[in-house]
This record gives sequence, C-alpha cells and structure tokens, in this order.
Amino acid sequence: MSVVCPLGHQSQATDYCDQCGALIVAGSPGGGTTQVLGVLEEVDTSPAVRREPCPACGAPRSGDDRYCEGCGHDFLGPPPVVAGWEAIVTADRAQFDRLAVAGVSFPSDYPERRFALADGENRIGRSRGQPDENAPEIDLAGPLADPGISRLHAVLERRSDGLYVLRDLGSTNGTMVNDDPVPIAPHTAVPLANGDRVHVGAWTTITVRKR
Amino acid sequence: MSSFTTECYQNEYIQLGGSEVNAIVTVTSDGAAGQTTQPEAAEIVIIDTSGSMGAPSQKLAAAREATSIAIDCIRDGVAFGVIAGTEVARTVYPPYETLVTASSQTRSEAKRALRRLEPAGGTAIGSWLTLAGTLFATVPGRSCHAILLTDGENQTETDEQLDEVLTELEGRFQCDCRGVGTDWRVSELRRIASTLLGSVDIIAKPGDIAGDFRALMETAMGKATGNVSLRLWAPQGANIAFVRQVAPTIEDLTDRAVPVNDLTSDYPTATWGRESRDYHVCINVQPRDAGEEMLAGRISLVEGDETRAQALVKAIWTADEHLSTQINREVAHYTGQAELADCIQEGLEARKDGDLATATFKLGRAVQLAAESGNDGTMKLLQGVVEVDDPATGTIRLRRDVATVDEMSLDTRSTITVRVGPGAT
Repeated sequence: MSVVCPLGHQSQATDYCDQCGALIVAGSPGGGTTQVLGVLEEVDTSPAVRREPCPACGAPRSGDDRYCEGCGHDFLGPPPVVAGWEAIVTADRAQFDRLAVAGVSFPSDYPERRFALADGENRIGRSRGQPDENAPEIDLAGPLADPGISRLHAVLERRSDGLYVLRDLGSTNGTMVNDDPVPIAPHTAVPLANGDRVHVGAWTTITVRKR
Repeated sequence: MSSFTTECYQNEYIQLGGSEVNAIVTVTSDGAAGQTTQPEAAEIVIIDTSGSMGAPSQKLAAAREATSIAIDCIRDGVAFGVIAGTEVARTVYPPYETLVTASSQTRSEAKRALRRLEPAGGTAIGSWLTLAGTLFATVPGRSCHAILLTDGENQTETDEQLDEVLTELEGRFQCDCRGVGTDWRVSELRRIASTLLGSVDIIAKPGDIAGDFRALMETAMGKATGNVSLRLWAPQGANIAFVRQVAPTIEDLTDRAVPVNDLTSDYPTATWGRESRDYHVCINVQPRDAGEEMLAGRISLVEGDETRAQALVKAIWTADEHLSTQINREVAHYTGQAELADCIQEGLEARKDGDLATATFKLGRAVQLAAESGNDGTMKLLQGVVEVDDPATGTIRLRRDVATVDEMSLDTRSTITVRVGPGAT
C-alpha cells in the first residue's frame, strides 16, 4: 500500500514520507489503493503550530491566541464581513472525474479553504513547506495538497477597474476556467467574473467571487 | 535467529532555521545462541612467525600455546585453518590452501602442526591477509572471521601494497588484530582492524596472549547472526554529516556507506552476538516551519534483505528555545567520548613530534573529558603518560619518562568508550 504525503509524494512508508520525511497522519486505512490521509487540523496539536491566516485580514496566525494580532478579529466569533473578493478552494469531484489522473485519488475529507484576495498579486501554488518568504499567497501546500499543482501555478491580479484577471504562470498541468476543457494560454491574462471557477491540479477548484 | 531491539535518544526539537539533527541509537542483540539457524562460521588464526617472534623465544611459544587454546574453542562444524606469516604467507594447517571442518580429530591435527612453527623471515601483513581471503573464498556463504597476531610493523611490503590488499578484502571477512610487545605500529593495526570491522588491542606480555585468544574465539563462536548492516534512510535534500559507532568503541563509519538507493545507504556492522552497540548519527536536513514534524532518519538493522529492527530519528521545528536548546544527555556524552579519543591521539602525536604545548593541552583536555564522563579505564591509561594535578580543569604535566607500553596502550585503547552513567552529563 502506498500513501500520499502532505507534499504530494507517493510513499511506501505510512508513518513518514519515504521521499521527504514529512509526517503522514494516520487515517482510514485503504486496502491496496492510494489513500490521501488526514487533515491539517488533526496534525497540529502543539501550541506552536501553523494555522490558517486570519480570515478577516489575512495576517499569519500562530499559537492559540483568540484574537488576530493584525486586526483583532475574534477567531471564535462569526466569520468576518469584509467587502472585497475572495477565493474559495474546494476539492471538486466532478473536475476530478473529468480529468481522471492516474495514480491520484480524490480526497474524501478536504476542508473548504478561503483566501481573501489582496489588491495586488495573489499567486496560486504550493510552497515547499519551509520558511519561505516567497511562498504564494494562495498556498495550497498542506497534508492534502493536490499533486497536480505547480509550485507557482497561476496568479490572480486586481485590475484598476476592480476586477481580477487570471494568468497561468507556465504551470506543468495547466489552468482551466469554468466548463472549458481547454487550458488557458500560459502568461496570458484572462478576465474573471464574479463566481468564475478556476481549475488547477487533479481536483482543485478555486471559486473567485465578491463577498 | 537472534532478535534486535533499538532505542533512540535525541532532542527532536530544532530551532527555527536549524538543520542539524543528532541522535544516539542503541542496538541490542539477544544473541539467541544455540539456535539451529546459527550461521555456519569460518575461522582463521594468523600468527606472525617472523624472526623477531623468536626474541625472546617465549614469544612464539606463547603464540603457539594461545593458538592451540583458540583452536580448542572452535566448535564442531566450523571451517578453520591456521596461517603462518613472514615475508610470505603459508598455511600451517591444513597443509594445502583450503579450510577443514572442525572435529576432535582435525583440532588435534592442527595443534600438532603448530609445533613445526619456527621464527624466521620478515613481516608482510598484506600477504597474510590475502591468503586468508583466498582460504575464506573456498567456503562461500559462511560468516568469516580471523585473528591476526603480530609483534612488528609491516616491513617487507609498502603501505600502498597493504592499502590495496585492504581495499580488495574489505567486506570479505572480519579480522581482530593483536599486537604483542611494543615493536608494532598502532596506526597500522588500527587501519587493518578498522577496515576489516575488527578490534585492535595490545598484548604487553606474551603470557597474556592465551587468555585474549580464548576470549576472542569464544566471542566469535557466540556470534548468532550473519553480516548485519546498519541501513540509514534520510530524506530528499538531507546530508549525512556522519555515522559513527560510539560504544563499545569509536569507529567512524561515514565513509563505509554502501548506497542502496538515492536516499538510503548501508553501513557494515559485521556479525553480532549477545551484545549492545551505540551509534551516533548526525544528519543535516532542510529546515521547515514551526510546528512541522519530519523524519530526519530511519535506521534499520538489516540482515540479508530482512529488516530486524528500526529506529526513527525525528525533527520538530519550534520557536521555543527551552525545547530546542536542550542537548540530549546521550548525544552530549558520546560527543565528549569522540573528542576524548581525538584528544588522546592528537596529544600523543604532538608529544612524539616534540610539540609539548599541544600535547599538554590535548592530553589535559582528555583527562578532563575522561573525568567528566567517568571513563575510568581511559583515565588510568592517561595517568601512565601524564601527571594529573586537577582532573576537573584538565591541569596536567607530561611525564618525562614514559614506558613505550603505556603510551601504546593509551593509543590503542583510546577509542574505548563508556556508556552514559547514572547522573552523568
């Protein structure tokens, strides 16, 4: 049996990745098939763990503090209501079935992730899981990383008219928008409308919308 | 089949940005003696019969007696033979170039053959080892072990010739080396023993050879495994700083790595009886974020293709310096023991070169380390070479007249370590 590690390597060892050494969280054992195991929240039990950035201001968040150090948002309170755009990342079964990438299985328990979009560049990619100033703003690394996403995959940029454009940054597996099966041309800006769906990797769909 | 257990001692917490991971792994084999799966062994005793072995005359007589006792320890079914070495090597028993199976009859024949040994000629240790290799090659699949006894340095061949032989024979058999008297060279026998995964020791008095040979042969007969390797996996981007055995003696294995695949290497550890050894591994890995845990090393004991035990070396990055700055007691202890061995060897070297300042500094540090770690055996040997004024600060004076045997004993046994004592740091 092999498993997929948080950084997307196939590993025969099921405790730690036999490529990169990353901790693989025990989940439901799968008989003879590739399994994607666990979610971030189950891994992180120590106080110094890395958490999702603040949903209100996007400031990085660490420790068990209740209030955001950047904007004072109450993490236990209701989600923030902030005007602006956001990217909602989900595991998209329909997209996964359409692409049917061999050797990759669909994560059964992928939590929806939301990223507030900044005014400038919002890069989509996967960091190497190391302290990295250059980590993409929409960093899809993590225990359930989609192995089909490139390190620097694409970028969402806000134009002066307030709308966002999408550019593929020469990713390995390409970027698709909505129901069009043809990937967009690399390094070419594609304007997005509210609610457009951006498909990257084997099953990741990023819905870009006004909130 | 003997079973192995491992214990891993480390501080897995690494400061942010830090990359060095240290761990001490204790490997214990229960020896499981007397079981039917015990590997078939082959034993060769190599005796120096050069001219110097006849002066004084009891030296060769003592070696003959000791070999005779060693032969008695060889159990039935083991393939064995005896080699006499001068500027050439020849078989003493059996009289042709092969090995025979031990039985009461062959053991008596071998002991009778020892009487014919006469001291004459030079010393070419490489040729002795080559013959041993040839004889062992006639019994493939056996776990091969030799005992080499010499009283002098390699004379009738060059260092390069010996090096070539060692490169050729590495991994083919294990060889324990013994130097009798004080006319042999510690560095030379250490190089041979180290390459051939054996021990090296000094036997000051010919009368002590017998007891030592008996112990060596009994240990060899107690080996319950074939060749075992320490297999080390390290993640992508990692770099193995060193792998060394640190108990019972210090033996650097870093350069012995035999690659298995891109991320895995085997380090030979030869055969195991009922015993326990400690290993220090130091791995540099790519730093990760706070809270992230990774496996920095997976250590397995591998016999053939079978994994017999495993230990995990972990790394967890943290901003909490209370956690990351604690040095694990075992790691600290063995780092000190390695420094102790280095200080002794460097101190003796400096003393030989007449650099008394360096010698005093190094041997003083050695005294301090030996005292701190409770390594009484080494401390006693150090006292044969230096006058200790204050062990806590390492204040010493070099002795003016040092017996060669004391100096060589200290050098030879400098790599013997002690385990972490209760309450030791």
